[in-house]
Amino acid sequence: MGPIFSPAADTWLRLFLIAAVSLAAGSVVFAVRFAHSDWVTGVFNHPPAQPVPFSHKHHAGELGIDCGFCHTSFAQGPRAGLPPTHTCMTCHSQIWTGAPMLAPVRQSFADNNPLKWNRVALLPDYVFFRHDIHIAKGVGCVACHGRIDRMALTYRAKALTMEFCLDCHRDPAPHLRPKNQVTNMSWSPHGDREKIGHELVKQYGIREGQLTNCFVCHR
Amino acid sequence: MTMRAENLRFDLPRLRDMTRSSRRFWSSLEELIDEEGFRAWLAAEFPAASSMFDDPGRRQFLKLMGASLLLAGLGGCRDGKSGEALPYVNQPEGVVPGVPRYYATAVTFEGYAQPVIAATYAGRPTKLDGNPDHPVTRGASDAFMQSAVFELYDPQRSKLPLKDGVPSTWGAATAALTQLRARWQERRGEGLRILTGATTSPTLIRQMAELTKQFPKMRWSQSQAIGTALQDEAMTLAFGRPITPHYQLDKCDLIVSLDHDLLGPGPHQVARAKAWAEKRGEAAPGAGRARLHAAECLPSLTGAVADSRLPCDASRVPLLAQAIAAKFGVAANKPELNPHEEKWLARAIDDLRNHAGASLFTIGPQHAPAIQALAPAVNQALKNAGLAVWYSEPILAPAEPTPLAKLAAEISAGSVDTLIMLDCNPVYDAPAGLQFAELIARVPNRVHAGLHVTETSHASQWHLPLSHALEAWSDGRAIDGSAIIGQPVVAPLYDTRSVYQLIDFLLGGSDPKADNAVRATWRERFGDQFDARWRKSLHDGFVDGTTAKPLTLSPKAPHAEQRETADQYEIVFLPDPTIWDGRFANIAWLQELPKPLTKITWDNVIAISPAIAAREKLSNGDVVDIDIGARSVRGPVWIVPGQGPRTIALFLGYGRRAGGDIGQGVGYDAYAVRPAENAFIARGRLSRAPDRPQQKIASTQAHHRMDGFDFVREVTATNPRTAPPKDTPTLYPDWNEIAERENRADHAWGMVIDLDLCIGCNACVSACNVENNVVVVGKDQVSRGREMAWLRVDRYYSGDVENPKSYFQPVPCMHCEKAPCEMGCPVHATAHSPEGVNQMVYNRCIGTRTCSSYCPYKVRRFNWYDYRNFAEAEQAVKNPDVTVRSRGVMEKCSYCTQRIQAAHVAADKEDRALRRDEVTTACQQACPTTAIVFGDLLDRESAVAKRRQSGRHYVLLEELGTRPRTTYLARWRDEPGEESA
Repeated sequence: MGPIFSPAADTWLRLFLIAAVSLAAGSVVFAVRFAHSDWVTGVFNHPPAQPVPFSHKHHAGELGIDCGFCHTSFAQGPRAGLPPTHTCMTCHSQIWTGAPMLAPVRQSFADNNPLKWNRVALLPDYVFFRHDIHIAKGVGCVACHGRIDRMALTYRAKALTMEFCLDCHRDPAPHLRPKNQVTNMSWSPHGDREKIGHELVKQYGIREGQLTNCFVCHR
Repeated sequence: MTMRAENLRFDLPRLRDMTRSSRRFWSSLEELIDEEGFRAWLAAEFPAASSMFDDPGRRQFLKLMGASLLLAGLGGCRDGKSGEALPYVNQPEGVVPGVPRYYATAVTFEGYAQPVIAATYAGRPTKLDGNPDHPVTRGASDAFMQSAVFELYDPQRSKLPLKDGVPSTWGAATAALTQLRARWQERRGEGLRILTGATTSPTLIRQMAELTKQFPKMRWSQSQAIGTALQDEAMTLAFGRPITPHYQLDKCDLIVSLDHDLLGPGPHQVARAKAWAEKRGEAAPGAGRARLHAAECLPSLTGAVADSRLPCDASRVPLLAQAIAAKFGVAANKPELNPHEEKWLARAIDDLRNHAGASLFTIGPQHAPAIQALAPAVNQALKNAGLAVWYSEPILAPAEPTPLAKLAAEISAGSVDTLIMLDCNPVYDAPAGLQFAELIARVPNRVHAGLHVTETSHASQWHLPLSHALEAWSDGRAIDGSAIIGQPVVAPLYDTRSVYQLIDFLLGGSDPKADNAVRATWRERFGDQFDARWRKSLHDGFVDGTTAKPLTLSPKAPHAEQRETADQYEIVFLPDPTIWDGRFANIAWLQELPKPLTKITWDNVIAISPAIAAREKLSNGDVVDIDIGARSVRGPVWIVPGQGPRTIALFLGYGRRAGGDIGQGVGYDAYAVRPAENAFIARGRLSRAPDRPQQKIASTQAHHRMDGFDFVREVTATNPRTAPPKDTPTLYPDWNEIAERENRADHAWGMVIDLDLCIGCNACVSACNVENNVVVVGKDQVSRGREMAWLRVDRYYSGDVENPKSYFQPVPCMHCEKAPCEMGCPVHATAHSPEGVNQMVYNRCIGTRTCSSYCPYKVRRFNWYDYRNFAEAEQAVKNPDVTVRSRGVMEKCSYCTQRIQAAHVAADKEDRALRRDEVTTACQQACPTTAIVFGDLLDRESAVAKRRQSGRHYVLLEELGTRPRTTYLARWRDEPGEESA
C-alpha cells in the first residue's frame, strides 16, 4: 500500500494554511482600513446635495466674509449656528435679486419656512461637541472643517472620527493658534510650531491630560 | 421569581416580639415574615431575569434568543450620515442655539401659583425648577412641579374642540357660546352656573366680577376634591371669616401635629420643608432644633421625621385635641385617654409649655372644623401667634363651603340651564353621595374645558381644549400671597385657548388675544408705571410688594363636641401622594414614582393597619370590599406598619374612566364610596372579596437591595458620633495617591446626603428623571425589578411593627474611588474620570450587565427594551445635553456630568477656576430640605467638604472598601422618648 498522501499534498496544505492566515490577516487589515476609509467617514469630494449651491469659496474665500458673520454663535455656544434666511437676504435683497439659483432663499423668506440644508459635518448623537470652548482655546475652524475657503461646494474634509478628536485632545499643542487667528484659513506660525503651541497651552490654561476622559465628550 | 410573601401568614404577635425586642432596621414586612425568601430575592441580581417568560420552555427560549441576536445585529445598521439642518428664517434676538434660556413663570397647583423658572431650548421648555428669587420655593421644587413638563408634552392632551365627542372647530364652539350668550342676556344669566377649581388668580376674579355684572343672576362656584373647605370653616369659627394660617416652621422650636401632614405632598410642601430644614439644620434634638411630636392615623412624611409619634385613629384626634386644649385653658373638660395616648401627650404638653412663644400646635385640615378651631386658640394661649403661626386675609378666592352639594341640589330642582366647567372634573371627583354623574345629564347645556378629554368631557355636549400653564398667560398668588404673572414659555402646541380667553368669549369678546385679560388686570393695578412694572414682574417672577400682610386677630375658643365611636372601621380619604386627586393620572412618570412610604407604583391600595390584617387574616395584595353606607369599592390591601389600629386609608385619584391611556383603568376609584358629608373621615366595613385572587402590586421596596448591614445609622445627643472608619487592607492603590502622582485634577466631586433632613418627598427622584431623560417602563416591568430611576429612595423601619420609626435613604451612584463595576466591565465602558466621577459610556457598552452584578449598591439600571419610540410631543421634553439611551446599554447616575461639563466650559472660556459650589446636581437643586449637598471635596470650604467633617458622617457599606464619593450623615435620635426604651 502506497502512501495515502502524495508529496504534493503537503504543499497544498502549506499553501492552504498560508492562504487562510493571510486571508484572516487581510480581513482584519481590510476591516480596519475600511472603517477608516473616506467612504465610511464621509470624507470625499462629493458634497451632499443642498437646496442652494452655496459656495464658501466665493463668500469666505473671494469676498473675505468672516466665518462669524453667518455662523454667529461659533464663539458663544455649542453650535456655530447656520445663518437664518434673513442673513442671506441682507445682501441678496440688494444683489443677485433675481438669480434663479437663489429662488429657494427668497421663497423661504417669503413663506417664513426654513431652508432645509443637509449636514456636512455630522457627529453621532452620543458625542457632545461644543464650538465655543474650542474657539476660546484657539483651535482654528480649519482644524476640523479644512480649507473651506477653497470649497465651491461644501464637503467634509476631515474624518471626524474619535481617533481624529483624540489626536488633538491627547496633545493639543500643535493644533493651537492665537485667538485672533481662529477664523483665518491660511494662518501659519512664525517660528517653532511646537514651542508656540506649548506657550499657548499654558496661556489658555488648557487642562492637558484631562481632555481624554469619556465625559468630556460623551454623557 | 417573584416574592411570595403574600402567601405567608401575617403573624402579628410574632412580628411584635421580633420588632419590639431588637434595634434592627428592616425594609419591609416581607423581610420580617419570610427571611429566607427575601435572602434568595437579594441573591438574584436583577431578580426578574429568570422570569422573562411566564412558562420558560427551552425551545421558546432558544427561538427568542435567536431572534434577539438577529435583531441585535440589525440594530447596528443605521444610516448615521444624513441629517437635515433647519436654521431660523428670522432668528430671535439673543438666541444662541444649544444654550438654554430661563424664564420666570408659574404653574398652578390646588389654585395656588407655584413660582418656577423654566429652562427652554430653542423655544421648548425641558425643565422646571423653583424660582430661586421667590421666598416660597427658593430654588427648590416638588415632584408635581418637576413633572409639569411631562403634562405639557403629554401626547394624549386634548387637541381640538369636541361636540358630542366628535371633532369640531373653535368657530363652531364660539358660535354655540354666542347663541347661549343671547339667552343669558335675555334672562339676566338665570340658570347659568360656572364651575372652576379653587383659584387665586386676580384676573379670573376680575373676569368673574365682570361676568356677574353682565349676568347678575349667574353664579360662580369652585369645587376642589381636596381643597381647604374644612379649614376655612374652622377659621370662620375661630375668627369670624376664613382667614389663612401661615406656619413659620423656621421659627418653631417645637411642633405638635395632630394628624397634620405639614411636610407631606401638597402646595405647601416646598416652603414648609425648606423652613423646617433650616430650623433642624445640624443641631442635635432639643439643642435649638425643632422637635416634632406627631399623632396620626396614617404614617406620613411628617410622622417619619417626628421625634415621637403616636399612631391613633381619626376618632381619637378630637379627644387628643381637646386634652391639649383643656391643659391650656381653652376647652373645658378633659376627655378619657388610653395610657399610650397619655404618655405621648404628657411629653407633647410639657414641650409645648416649655417652648411657649416658639412652638406650634396644628390639627389636620381634614378634621372637623370645631376641632381644628381649637388650634388657633391654643396657639394664642401659648403666645405663638405672630411668630410660629401668623394669619392673613384669605389667599384663595372666597368660595362657598359645599359648592358641589349646592349645585347638585339646584340641578335636581331644575334651575340650572347651562353649566360651564372650566378646568375641573366633577363627574369623576365629586363624592359619590351627590350622584353628580347622573344629575349632570339633566342640565340642558353642558360645556367642559380642560387639558384632557375627561369623564366630565364625556358627560358634556361641548369639550374645549385648554392651553397648559406653560403655554398661556396667567396670573395667581403663591401660598404667601405674592402675586405672580405667568408668561408662556412655549407657543401653544395645539389649537387651544386659556381659561381667560374662554371667559373673554363669554364676556362677548371675539377671538381675544392670549395676554389681553391678564394685561387688563395688571394695567388697572400698575397704572402709569405699567410697562416698567409689567416687565419687572415678568422678569422677577413675582409682583413686588404683594406678599400677604400679617393680621392681628384673637381667636374664639369653639365648643367642640366629643364624637361617639361606632363599631366600624374608620376610613380616611387622602389624595394620592404622586397623582394627587387624579389630575396627574396620565403622567407616567408620576405613576411610576414610588409612593414615599409604601414604595408602590402604578396602583393605589387600601392601606390597613397590622392589627386589622391580623384580625381579618389579610396579607398584602388580598382583594377586599370596603362598604361605606350603601356604596362599595373593591381593591387590594397593603399592610402599613404604624397605621392607626382601626384605620383604613383610601387613596383618591385612581380608577379613572377617561383622561388618557396611562391613567385609565389603573387602581380603584375611592370617590365611588366618598360620602358627601364628612368627605375625609368616614366609617365603614371591610370584607374579603369572595373568590378573588390576589392582586399583584408593583412595590419597589424590595428591589435593588444591598447585602450588608448598618445601611442607616443613628446618633444621639450623648453619643453624637458615628463609628470611626476602619482601615481595610487592600492591594489596590489609593485613589488620592494615583491622582496626586499623575497630577490630574483640581477637583474631586463628592456628595453628602443628610438622612436627618431627608423627608422622602421624591423631589430629587423626579428632578433626576427630567434632567437625565430617564424613561418609564410600566407596571409589568417595575414588578420585575426593572424600573429605571437613577436615584432611589430606600425606606427603612426600626422598632415595633405597630409603631416603627421610618427612615428615608436616597441612594444614587456612589461614584466609588475603587469601583467594583469598573473591574467587571469587559469593554471598559465604565471608567473613572480624573475628577473622580464614575463614567458610564453608553456607546461603548455591550450590555453584559457584569458591572451591575459587581455593584454592591445596586444603582445601575439596564435598558431591557428600546424605550425610545416616544410620541412626537414627548421627544420635545428630552434634555438635549444628555444621551437618550438605547436598548441593551447600562445607565446610572452621572453626578449630572452635563452640568459639571457646562460649568467647566463656562469657567474655561472666562479663564478662571470653578467657583465654590458652582455646580449643583438636579437632585440637590430640587431638594427642599438641602438634604443633598454636592461639590468639590478638595475645596476645604465647600459645603460638601464641611459636611464630611461632621461627626455624623458615615460611609455606606464601608466594610467593602469601595471608598464611595457619595456618603451620608447619620440621623439624630431623640433619646428621652419611648423609642429608646
